[in-house]
Amino acid sequence: MAESSRTEQIITQFYLKALHAILGSRIPHLHGDPSSSSAAVRVRKRDRWFNLALGDLPPALDHPHHSVMDPMIIDVILTPRAAPAAAEVVVERWTAQCESAPISWNHTPDSSSSFLFRRTYKKSILLLRSLYSFLRLLPAYRVFRMLSSSNQSYNYDLSYRVSSFAEPFSRVEERELKLHSFTPVETQFGQLVVSVQYRPTLSDFNIEVSSLLPSMIITDYVGSPAAEPMRAFPSSPYEGGARPMSFSLRGHRTSANPSAHRPHSWTSAPLAHHPMSSSPIPASDATFSPPDVYGNRISSQRPATHRKGSFSFDEFKLSPPFSPSPTPSPPAHGSSYLQSRLRSETAPVSIPQPPTGKSQVHRSPNLSDPTRSFLPPPSPRSMRTDLSSQNSPLESRSFRKSEGLRIGDTYSNMQLFTAQKSLKDGRDDSGRFSSVLSSGGSPRLGFSRSSSRLSIQDDLDDGDFSYPFAVDDVDTSDSQTRNLDRKEAPESVQASSHKSQDAAVGILVHMLKTAPPLRQDESYLSQSSRSELNREIGTSSLFMSRKTSDALEELQSYKEIKDILLSRSGTQLLESVQHRKE
Amino acid sequence: MNSEVCELKELEVEHFEIREVLRCILHTIIFHRALGLIRPKAIDCELFEITYVQCGDAEVEKKIEEKIDEFINKVEKHPNRKSQICLSFYEIKNKQSTWFGNNKVERLYWEHWYIYLHVINPKAHGKSHHNKATTDLGGEALEQSTSRHAALESSIREVLFQIIRFVNEKKDHLPSIPNHEGISFPYEITILSSSDSSFGWHTDVLKRMLQTGHPTMIS
Repeated sequence: MAESSRTEQIITQFYLKALHAILGSRIPHLHGDPSSSSAAVRVRKRDRWFNLALGDLPPALDHPHHSVMDPMIIDVILTPRAAPAAAEVVVERWTAQCESAPISWNHTPDSSSSFLFRRTYKKSILLLRSLYSFLRLLPAYRVFRMLSSSNQSYNYDLSYRVSSFAEPFSRVEERELKLHSFTPVETQFGQLVVSVQYRPTLSDFNIEVSSLLPSMIITDYVGSPAAEPMRAFPSSPYEGGARPMSFSLRGHRTSANPSAHRPHSWTSAPLAHHPMSSSPIPASDATFSPPDVYGNRISSQRPATHRKGSFSFDEFKLSPPFSPSPTPSPPAHGSSYLQSRLRSETAPVSIPQPPTGKSQVHRSPNLSDPTRSFLPPPSPRSMRTDLSSQNSPLESRSFRKSEGLRIGDTYSNMQLFTAQKSLKDGRDDSGRFSSVLSSGGSPRLGFSRSSSRLSIQDDLDDGDFSYPFAVDDVDTSDSQTRNLDRKEAPESVQASSHKSQDAAVGILVHMLKTAPPLRQDESYLSQSSRSELNREIGTSSLFMSRKTSDALEELQSYKEIKDILLSRSGTQLLESVQHRKE
Repeated sequence: MNSEVCELKELEVEHFEIREVLRCILHTIIFHRALGLIRPKAIDCELFEITYVQCGDAEVEKKIEEKIDEFINKVEKHPNRKSQICLSFYEIKNKQSTWFGNNKVERLYWEHWYIYLHVINPKAHGKSHHNKATTDLGGEALEQSTSRHAALESSIREVLFQIIRFVNEKKDHLPSIPNHEGISFPYEITILSSSDSSFGWHTDVLKRMLQTGHPTMIS
């Protein structure tokens, strides 16, 4: 491999690793905590770069910088949840770039060509080490830790923006920022410089636990009727005329903001990182496949074999895991380094329309597609997600192995679902539901929220509902809850087939929540909830823009629903609840 | 190859803070010198709002803990003194047998880190108190203790910044890496004899430097 291409690959991988390190310590719930996985986990080849194993990179990030000479600018942004995008503050700006050196590199006396890139590699290892430590000494790290705690919901969000260009700070802002520059690393192409402008103190921000309702599941999350056209979902026995739903998610913005035309797109505020962020996918009803856009590219970067024999590293005994592929092809998009804007859609999922019979417990949509069924999750004990599961969307099925889900932990598994949701049942419903699910007493329930907040629409008044399951009445036994789920699934709302999909989902969820245990009289449901359902339908069209974090929470609820279904069908093993440390 | 020396800023610590402070500093230095493949582990200090990074190697952790125990034992015998810990990295050079008649394994030290600790005892308390801030004191003493604790925390942070700065600035003296996995360079931790007088203090340092056997004097 030519010297220059090796150097280029080192620099490219350096950018990627630096990005990973920075986001991993600034963006809550970026992906499963790598440090929690045992040391025995096989270190992937990508991880070996710079001898710093940071764990799996979210697929969105797994895209090399398209040009080594372009700077990579990462803004870490603190946004108040309640306030609009204008209130966002850049608390840190990390800049990594390769500055052309005026002196030719070849002037050094012992500059044999095979020596230079090794020295570059060794020095960049050191640089990354110090970057990693330094990240934890800045004030933003403490904020990150606070927001990452899964049991609390805060009034601020940390998000990021990556690009090749960023608007310079205003004078006022500049004065408030401190600059720290790491010693440059010499490369064949110039000096690799990493620097950070940061706020030396974040005490001005009153970051505290938000007063929003605690972890809840938006179980009746539905897409707005004005949603993008959805692809018809392969028929399932339960479709019965219900229209499939699709969700699309917009990630944080970049300088280009092409999704603005969407009626229910998120605010332009940068959103919490989404693992499925990808470069712009055409705004069509493409099925969920954002990683596929880069899938080929990514896979080409990661050959199965690691060629070590092509060159020797006698001097430093360092072997960067070069891939045999040539320099990465530039991405299709323009100057932005990573399209942080998320555009992906899940394959539509149909609301199961169970027949009146109880025989068909659940029929989730075709699971070979990256879709999820939408039934409420089972009891808390049965819900843990595998935190170390891979980020790839194709591996997201792995979450079914675990019983529970933690909101924050599902990021690595989640498909992209936008929250175009109108909360049908309102707060009480969700609150009740979550308490049903949290009745197991496990603090690690997927419904405990961290920084992502569940948006409960206060204006939906469902106070008149009387639920058969008061919080206290919830039986923590697994069997009961399972019965509940099993019972809920077959319950159908006959009228829903003619309603909008929103209504259908909402009704279904409501049904699931209000369904009595199996041993109770089935007729209970039909008499009490029918009227309530009708009332719910009227409010189904309400829509509120939500943030990605909310969408992801909802996604989790769907995943839990899926888990229930899978456990119901007996296709999945019940795994013990995994305990996650923060 | 030159030998580099980094003298870290002196820290005033109380007895119960020694362990956390030393852990923080030693692990940070080693993390920057463990250039083999590692999976970093971020650890929160118990006593301070500081997060440092360990290289994740159990052997290293064990060795550091042992050394800290040793240091604490030594310090207990001589309270209220300045002590120092030296973390040194060396290269193993096998020398052919000379007129000594046997193979000598020589250590060539290429880096020394000096950690200076001044273990103090606030006058109002005996050595055995570990939770000074919570005991029944006058409000003033409590306030002093709190401010001292905060000052120490910021000093520790400064020391960590100092380490990072040194690691960044001085890169050329690193030898080739003998070991790919984890800890790449052999190292040793030495507790130097504590001394009250500043003269003796520097004597210790000089003696140590001269013991390296490396012809190059410290710059």
